[in-house]
Amino acid sequence: MKKFLVPIVCTLTLFSCSSETVKKTPPDNRLDKCTLRFSWWGGDDRHDATMKAITLWNARHPSIEIKAEYGGWDGWTEKINTQISGGSQPDVMQINYDWLVTLSSDGEGFYNLNELEHFLDLSGFSDDILSFGMVNNHLNAVPVSLTGRGFFYNSAVFERLDVSFPETWDELLETGNIFYQNGCYPLDLDVQSGGTAWYLSVVYVQQKTGRNFINMDGSLGFSIEDIEEAMEFYKLMEDNHVTRNVRTRIDEDGNGALYQSPSFIDGNVAGVLEWNSAVGKYESVLDKGVLKAGGYLGDGNGNNSGWFVKPSLMYAISAETKYPDESAEFINFLLNDKDCAEILGTSRGIPASRYAFEELEKNGKLKGLTKENSDMLSEIDTVTISPYMETTRMKELCNSAIERISYGEDISITAQELYNDIIEYLESVE
Amino acid sequence: MKKYKNPVGVSRFTGLILISPFIIGSVLFIIYPFICSFITGMTKYDGIHPPEFIGLTNYKNMLQDKHFLKALGVTFKYTVIFVPLKLIVSLLIAVLLSANIKGMGFFRTAFYVPSILGSNLAVAIMWQYLFTRGGLVNQFLEIFGISGISWYGDQKLSLFIIILLRLWEFGSTMIIFLTSLKEIPREYYEASKVDGCSSFRAFFSITLPLLKNTLFVNAVLQTISALQEFSAPYMITGGNPMKSTYTVGMLIYDEMFSYHNAGYANAVSWVLFVLTSVVVCIMFRITGRIRKELP
Amino acid sequence: MKKLITYFILILTAILMLYPLLWLLGASFKSNQEIYSSIWFLPEDFDFSVYFNAWKTNTGYTMGHYFINTFTVIIPKTVFSVVSSVLTAYGFARFDFPLKKFFFTLLMVGMFMPAIVTIMPMYMFWNKLDLLDSYAPLTLPSLFACEGMFVFILIQFFRGLPKELDEASRLDGCGTIRTLIYVLLPCMKPAVISIAVFNFLWTMNDFINPLIFINSTEKYTLSLALRTSVDSTGQGYEECKIIAMSVIGLIPSVTVFALAQKKFIGITAGGLS
Repeated sequence: MKKFLVPIVCTLTLFSCSSETVKKTPPDNRLDKCTLRFSWWGGDDRHDATMKAITLWNARHPSIEIKAEYGGWDGWTEKINTQISGGSQPDVMQINYDWLVTLSSDGEGFYNLNELEHFLDLSGFSDDILSFGMVNNHLNAVPVSLTGRGFFYNSAVFERLDVSFPETWDELLETGNIFYQNGCYPLDLDVQSGGTAWYLSVVYVQQKTGRNFINMDGSLGFSIEDIEEAMEFYKLMEDNHVTRNVRTRIDEDGNGALYQSPSFIDGNVAGVLEWNSAVGKYESVLDKGVLKAGGYLGDGNGNNSGWFVKPSLMYAISAETKYPDESAEFINFLLNDKDCAEILGTSRGIPASRYAFEELEKNGKLKGLTKENSDMLSEIDTVTISPYMETTRMKELCNSAIERISYGEDISITAQELYNDIIEYLESVE
Repeated sequence: MKKYKNPVGVSRFTGLILISPFIIGSVLFIIYPFICSFITGMTKYDGIHPPEFIGLTNYKNMLQDKHFLKALGVTFKYTVIFVPLKLIVSLLIAVLLSANIKGMGFFRTAFYVPSILGSNLAVAIMWQYLFTRGGLVNQFLEIFGISGISWYGDQKLSLFIIILLRLWEFGSTMIIFLTSLKEIPREYYEASKVDGCSSFRAFFSITLPLLKNTLFVNAVLQTISALQEFSAPYMITGGNPMKSTYTVGMLIYDEMFSYHNAGYANAVSWVLFVLTSVVVCIMFRITGRIRKELP
Repeated sequence: MKKLITYFILILTAILMLYPLLWLLGASFKSNQEIYSSIWFLPEDFDFSVYFNAWKTNTGYTMGHYFINTFTVIIPKTVFSVVSSVLTAYGFARFDFPLKKFFFTLLMVGMFMPAIVTIMPMYMFWNKLDLLDSYAPLTLPSLFACEGMFVFILIQFFRGLPKELDEASRLDGCGTIRTLIYVLLPCMKPAVISIAVFNFLWTMNDFINPLIFINSTEKYTLSLALRTSVDSTGQGYEECKIIAMSVIGLIPSVTVFALAQKKFIGITAGGLS
């Protein structure tokens, strides 16, 4: 008898945990005494600033204690995924944009923040910005900051070759050829975690056609022809030596990131397409002031649309939290409070909240490459990245397609395959 | 009733009592997760929404999943090349280190350092300096007129830099060899010296036969870990180029955590599990007779 | 002459083995730029304050705190694991009992499943017992001899010992446990020590289990603390400080190994001189 009991008990434990319907606690518009768990990932600066902000919060709200759970980026997704599957996630979480798709594709994965407006003041955010956190008409998360990929160049190399930063796609191709004659490359495009090879190719087609690669609702905006054109443009960039081909790139750099490679540090590769919120690591491996922000490429006739923006980080509240009001009040503090903004500075990027932004602007805390690029971005017509484009699976599909054409496979066949794979994937997440 | 061959005065329950911690543990830490995993493998489960029972669909999908099939090929190729090399290298070094020379303690520690480093940043960077196009290995080969080998970029060579990394971490296997080398009575060697055997022949006629058991243990353990290989390619090549170093272990990890396909990940794990069982079972069978001939 | 050749090979190999360690030491004094641009280990200049900062860490706890945490996990885990594995291996190697084949298969089979897929069920299990964010999930499983590999290795070593040893001991009136402790274990010292050392070193490096089961920073083990400042998605970080931390973190492992290595081998080699 016992032999049969064991598997049954086991099965029950597994499914009782995962199939429990979300026990939602409705807001009561009061702040009770409680302990909130707040989790984030980051580096030292962010940890320091956030711990100081929590100290300030504790001084102001002695009855609501914040328990900080933080660490580095490595493994953080795995940790949060496991916690959510087990229903033991923290009350307040710093989340990544694509988690909206992977953890809350129906909008039920996180608390609907619209219900918490009693404590969470969203007036500092434009509707556009809030729309980033909308899933299925539920406000699942609020963007902490926005970011986009921008061009950052090693100005010393450009000066040495007497070339100015490219402004149009044609100039980019020309620059590639000039650099090649001198044994170097103006830009690095990768097919690894960054996936900039596909990113740039998509922007080119988006600018040209006005269609979006993937729409916000998760439908595919590109036709097969568009995908094929993006691939052809990538190939064109390789042929004009704008960037190393995939094989040369890994032969020279291995599996490391560009900022860890001698090619970049020695100036053989003189540019990178990076999130403006993460450019610091490239800046720090070159001599001071050498890395400069370049402009967004246009077609030369005034069309420089098609460039992406996305929230770099967001705050969300667990759908199963017992303390929705208190969590909302805490997020409100992190996003909008002026003293808190002062403490947090740009440790999570340039704040998206108007109140925090104005505070930092006033005190002259906004400067540097991130700010320069972010200003450029605000002057052009941008496209919001669909969170569906940001998922690991989607990136993997596109990256391996680019890798294949770079290794010499046929473009139209690869385009067809990628198209099918994307359709299949998007259907599976819907 | 079955007869149990035990020493006089020992009941058939003595053994059971001795392994009783394992019996309890196996229910909690082996049978329970296995059953969970098996059930999950028959569902579509993203870790968030309630799992949906889909029968054997995951297994059927596997047959059409070209990434899985390729990963399976890569994993087998890796195992077949890696395991014998690892055994040879760690055995040779163990023999070298069992010699009695001054400062041997230092060398033994030094040789274990790579295994302690594990996935330290230094290792990935070191490999980069060694095997990239202008790296040290290519500079060295240039002396012999061989130039510009693309270790990372060539689909046929990329697996080798991973094999080399794992060979470099021979420490644990070496220790198991060292421990049993110690148990070979030195009289055997002295006798063979008297008979005029070279140390080369002594190795084959004394050391190797007496190490049969250990060799087998190491072969089994290395095969199991090679079939599950995941962290070395993850760190060194990321599965690139063109998935030529993408192993089944990596696929399971990706499906589980990156692609939110816990159902599929578990199904693949079961396939890997069955394959490992078959391989190990064969290893037990074909070596069974040889292993029993021990003194 | 032969000795010279042996030394030559040994030294050459040792350099190959130790270079990364040397490089790590050097890199702890370098800027990010210097770290990534050259394989040469010597830094341009030495500034030992990096080690002071590394020891202090940025988390509000010193590395000493994380060392204590780590040992709070490692010491019981190693003891549990050695005791339970030895008993189990002894049972399998020396006794015959009902369902022996079944349990041995179970032991082997336990090693065949990729560890990742057991994480989720185990998480649910410890969650039900309300033991998440404690060291129980990291240490208690070792009580139950479920590291098949250790048991498997020990079984083979038990088999290598002649059965006459047991018989003689029984004739002297020793029971099952006393035979194990006074007769067999002394012969198996190297094997038992190597199991303990493996346990120590692997637990020291284990990242995924503490990551999943521990939430509070004050309970972090060293392997977690090392990566707390590493944010590859952010603006970057000073590599040298992380490297300095990892150098400090390697000290116990290297020391433990250096102390234990004599025990792996001794009598035979010692007798040859």
